[in-house]
Amino acid sequence: MTGTLPGVAPMAVPPAAYLVVGTLLFAIGLAGALLKRNALSIFLSIELMMNAVNLLFLTYARMRGDMAGQMIVFFVIAIAAAEASVGLAIFVALFRARRTVDVDKIALLKW
Amino acid sequence: MPALSGDLVVFTIASLLAIGFALAMVVQKAPVRSVLSLVVTFFGLAIFSIQLAAPFVAVLQVFVYAGAILVLFLFVIMLLNLGQEAAEEDRRPLQKWLGLVAALALGGVLSGAALRAPTPKGMRPPAVVPLADEIPTIGRLLFSDYLLAFEALSFLLLVAAVGALLLSKRRFE
Repeated sequence: MTGTLPGVAPMAVPPAAYLVVGTLLFAIGLAGALLKRNALSIFLSIELMMNAVNLLFLTYARMRGDMAGQMIVFFVIAIAAAEASVGLAIFVALFRARRTVDVDKIALLKW
Repeated sequence: MPALSGDLVVFTIASLLAIGFALAMVVQKAPVRSVLSLVVTFFGLAIFSIQLAAPFVAVLQVFVYAGAILVLFLFVIMLLNLGQEAAEEDRRPLQKWLGLVAALALGGVLSGAALRAPTPKGMRPPAVVPLADEIPTIGRLLFSDYLLAFEALSFLLLVAAVGALLLSKRRFE
């Protein structure tokens, strides 16, 4: 294990395959965010989109042999944790006030 | 080379798992099932991370995402008792199709761009770290190049925790 240089060793799987999987997951997440009516499910889809982007970052980090991609993934994960805690607290407060988290029924700011 | 084909097999299984359960996450009506499907997707992504020479990120993904964030989701879903919402009548068929078309178009455009993007193959061998040195390197980078971002992030997490407490506090009147 030690001594292997990840940036130098050839990649067994072509990097384009990771990129395609990442973009497909991103598109699936977008579909979920657009099609779901439950606020929690929309939030979940956004988490999936962030993870798809993480995969792209890791792929490019691997292709370039650069640690910056991995560092950005750490920051994305930490920000996702902060976002999840605040977002879920908002949903709990929303549910207490309106008894629903259906985004069609929460239309206070809509025309 | 047998090692290469093994990697390819693992990649294929992981990508099938990840994409299949991501689709299941979107299709499922019950939020609990969506969350559990997403757990499988995240495990697939963790396998990709290991293949991409980022084992620490893989562990972090399983611990923080599958272990903490999704458990928080499950907790809130069960707290709000969102189990089986009545099958919603389709109030907006047009928006549904538009959303599907938009997602498909974005997926196609992005995949095409990713496939066509030039691979930085001609670059000189960059500053690489042996796998065993990954965590020390990350720690050193966190406290040197990324110190400001790291400190800002710790403050952000503190603010988020306090904000979540404030938001979910029940007011007795």
